[in-house]
Amino acid sequence: MQSMKKLVAVAALALSAGLVSAGWSHAADTIKVGFIGSFASDAGRSTMRGAQIAIDELNAAGGVLGGKQIEMVKADTHEDVTEGIKAYEYLAETEGVDFIISGCIDDVSLGWLPRMTEYKIPTLDTWTSNIGIIDKLVEDYDTYKMYFMNVATDEALATLYVDFGKDILAKKMGWKKTIILQEDTAFGNAINGLVTQLLAPEAGIEVLDTIVYDTATVDFSPIFSRAVDSGADFIYLIASVNSQVVSSQYVKLQVPLAMTGVNVSALGQEYWDDTGGAGGGISTLSPVPSVGFVADPESQKFVDKYIAEYGNERPKYPHFNGFNAYWGIKQAFAAAEEAGGFGLDKWVPAMENQDLKLMKDGKLWLRYAFWKPGEVEERTQRTYPHNIRFDITPPYDDGAPSMVVIQWYENGDAKVVYPPKYATGEFEVPSWVKK
Amino acid sequence: MKGIMTPRHVALWIAFAAIMLLLPQVVSNGTLRIIIFANFLAIFAMSWDFLSGKTGYVSFGHPFLIGIGAYTTAILSYRFHMPIEYSIPIAVLTTIAGGTFFFLPALRIKGTYFALVTLAFMELIYQLTQVIRPDLTGGTRGISGVKTLLVGAVPNYYFSFLLMLGIALVLWVLARTRLGTALDAIAMNEEAVSGSGLSTTKLKLFAFMVSAAVAGIGGAFYVHYLGSIAPRALFDIDFVFTIIVSALIGGASTIVGPMLGAFFMTFLLEYLRPLLPGSERYLIYGLVALVLYVYQPKGIYAIIADLRDGMRSKNANNSKNSGKVGDGKAA
Amino acid sequence: MTQILIQGFLLSGLYALIAVGFTLIFSVGRVLNLAYGAYIMMGGYAYFYAVHIWHLPKTLGFLSAVVVGAIAGILMYRLLVKRLEGDQVAVEISTLILAVIIQAGIVLLFNDSSKILLPIVNGVWHVGSTTITKNMVMAMIASWIILGGLLAFVKFTHLGRAIQAVSMDPKGALISGIRTDRINLTTWAISGALGAVAGVFFATHTQLNPSMWVSPLIIAVAVVIVGGIGSIIGSLIVAHIIGFMEIITSTLIGAELRGIFTMLLIIIVLVVRPQGLFGRGDL
Repeated sequence: MQSMKKLVAVAALALSAGLVSAGWSHAADTIKVGFIGSFASDAGRSTMRGAQIAIDELNAAGGVLGGKQIEMVKADTHEDVTEGIKAYEYLAETEGVDFIISGCIDDVSLGWLPRMTEYKIPTLDTWTSNIGIIDKLVEDYDTYKMYFMNVATDEALATLYVDFGKDILAKKMGWKKTIILQEDTAFGNAINGLVTQLLAPEAGIEVLDTIVYDTATVDFSPIFSRAVDSGADFIYLIASVNSQVVSSQYVKLQVPLAMTGVNVSALGQEYWDDTGGAGGGISTLSPVPSVGFVADPESQKFVDKYIAEYGNERPKYPHFNGFNAYWGIKQAFAAAEEAGGFGLDKWVPAMENQDLKLMKDGKLWLRYAFWKPGEVEERTQRTYPHNIRFDITPPYDDGAPSMVVIQWYENGDAKVVYPPKYATGEFEVPSWVKK
Repeated sequence: MKGIMTPRHVALWIAFAAIMLLLPQVVSNGTLRIIIFANFLAIFAMSWDFLSGKTGYVSFGHPFLIGIGAYTTAILSYRFHMPIEYSIPIAVLTTIAGGTFFFLPALRIKGTYFALVTLAFMELIYQLTQVIRPDLTGGTRGISGVKTLLVGAVPNYYFSFLLMLGIALVLWVLARTRLGTALDAIAMNEEAVSGSGLSTTKLKLFAFMVSAAVAGIGGAFYVHYLGSIAPRALFDIDFVFTIIVSALIGGASTIVGPMLGAFFMTFLLEYLRPLLPGSERYLIYGLVALVLYVYQPKGIYAIIADLRDGMRSKNANNSKNSGKVGDGKAA
Repeated sequence: MTQILIQGFLLSGLYALIAVGFTLIFSVGRVLNLAYGAYIMMGGYAYFYAVHIWHLPKTLGFLSAVVVGAIAGILMYRLLVKRLEGDQVAVEISTLILAVIIQAGIVLLFNDSSKILLPIVNGVWHVGSTTITKNMVMAMIASWIILGGLLAFVKFTHLGRAIQAVSMDPKGALISGIRTDRINLTTWAISGALGAVAGVFFATHTQLNPSMWVSPLIIAVAVVIVGGIGSIIGSLIVAHIIGFMEIITSTLIGAELRGIFTMLLIIIVLVVRPQGLFGRGDL
């Protein structure tokens, strides 16, 4: 009885909703680019701003595809998987975007991936390095071919990291044994698996033990005690979620054992302020271009623009994915110009053929190009369709290295310490660790 | 005693269904996508309502049940390539089994303690999906690329609406049977119910099984709609929040209320998107929920009923109060 | 072994500090304040704002956390809890909504990146092979002082005895002329302040983050549920059970199982002995 009035009210509400949204039709003389990512995280903002700067430049230069202006529409994921799916649907159905640029984290990207294959919208990921997505292209290229990722995958990161182990940790520091400290996440498992498989045979470093910890861990002191007691020469850390906690407790407790590895929180310039200046002595692997990375002249122009525009609001300096978004948008539209639009049949091959070589002092410095389907990377002997074309063998003349190692010094500087071609500083252990 | 469903009810349900089924002719696909989420949320909120709204055993861990359904069919179909016509029924049965896990503590504890134990269940399974067999569950990254049943906004809209409508009708009718009334009585005074010779244990078990079955059906079809599943999307305090608040804002123990609440909450958040694209919208969303809840803990259902009663008593004063709405149950 | 003992006592001290304000409200108001984690978060952020952004002395930072916590407690009581008087479930749900709102507010104000607070006291001590931070020792001492002070306050002061009376029998207290409303308000203010103080220590040990309210809330719930209603001593003991359980799990069994044991403990105690290990058994 009374229930029915409400049912009618719901229907009316839904109806009016539809009428409102049906009213937004987008003008034919603009091209819409969708941004998907968190509006409140440094990673999300880096991608959003990098893309915005590229779009502003393209618009100022007279537009694209015969003088059309580009409009960017944004959808917040709140770093939530379900909100990410809703955001993708919103961009696809309500806004009708032609291209999507993403600054999402792993599980959020995996969440909307089925939507991407349904809507068939060309999509470029700039932050997640999840090899699982590239594996989907390996298995079923036709379904996922509209997907591109211009950050090197976990696998490439971990493989090159082994060289750092061989050259610096084993040869220079003389370390032979390590203990792995790994967070209990899929990312942690993936990196750990790769590193343990390769570290002993290639770098001659023995993995004594692995400590897996829960990401909500409050107190790391027993874990560090275990690591110290294990007799290892250094701790290999793999931390992406709440990684500030483990690294700051390492510093506060002055753990008498060197620690290096992957520490996602130390990837941005804000790391120093966020730790209140107590983050020295931490080193981490980082995708390129990292903090402390000397930019090539072209990328430096982007950095200058970024700082002029957003230098007062965090992140004050773009994270690696800000660069990826900037160059990614440029390439996506270059491909669209060649293909006459974003139709997959022509755009995907055109995007696959994009090749931007950024030079510095006459040497190849950064390269934005993609692995083609079927193309085998020599060292890992596998394919990486639509992943950025990285190079994991010196002298890195086929592409940028998949990663660099950055070192935060106790005075607040951050410098690249590996590979030597990009190094501006030396790998160092914290002052409280006995050498 | 009046019939369970009067001709007027039948007419109104049909009118509701007709309007909703005609909707795709009028509204955009973007709006349909939003309604699909609202439909699933409505299923979860009604499932919660049948357990917690009716019996007063407040569950803070409903995603535990939804997650069992969703993960079971996702793992069976994605990892073991089982056809979904088998994996979904198995998922529902597994969820019903999971419902008995919820039921065991309910034999001994109630109120706040019961709410906490269910919350602990949810936290436990969140951690377990990461520790135990991440090769099956996909660990923290979950599983992406689970088979989807249908493609496109319109077919999914029809499917999710019919599923929701079917569940709503079954629960609504169940709630109006003597069994349903007895469940309400448990919430009011459990001792009195057992004193009157009814087995409260059997009644509660019934409510738990029905609620779990609905959660399982909803969770299983939800994952085959989304095409992906991740622990953080399910076993999360935000998800608990959305389900409970939908049910309460709509009007607990009324079945129709939670449906209303689910639509309200989904559209509230989605309508704020163009106005406040960033984090502000979650603040507004929470504030509206809080104010509405504190203003009227019995929900929109009661607000509308009050308005209608007010109008009626002005007009003809034939106020034959059904007694179900204002029965003093906040949750 | 000494390492387990030392680290166990330190962590347990922090947990006791986190739980004490929560215990207080649960005993007196008979409600679970699910926004308790928000006090902890607001305390941490208030300290961060005062010390890291305004560069005020640490004592003032501490004071501002206490004030923010107490005000939050008072507002919560006046605007929410009092209106929903008597309905436990309604209070739980509305405080849960409030916690989510506060989280969204923190994201807006401070962005969602994690921040590290500088320790209240710098430096470390070496005890044998174990390293301990002075900050954690300070947290442990603070928790003992606060718990002792609270116990003395409840036992020996007029106001404290009134609080105890309300906790044991609200109706009886009202009849005997105690102004329960004022007692409740005071209790909520104290609880907020205690939560904020715990927040400063918790945040200096871990991090500041808009979702940081969940894990201390779970700790507080675990301590109170396992300890039982109305027992400050019980809470203290259970904080040590949980703290030591975590250290032992991390050291000897497997660090990834840390949270699982806590959850199992809550479930088992709730089902087997709902009144808690040391509780009075009424609710």
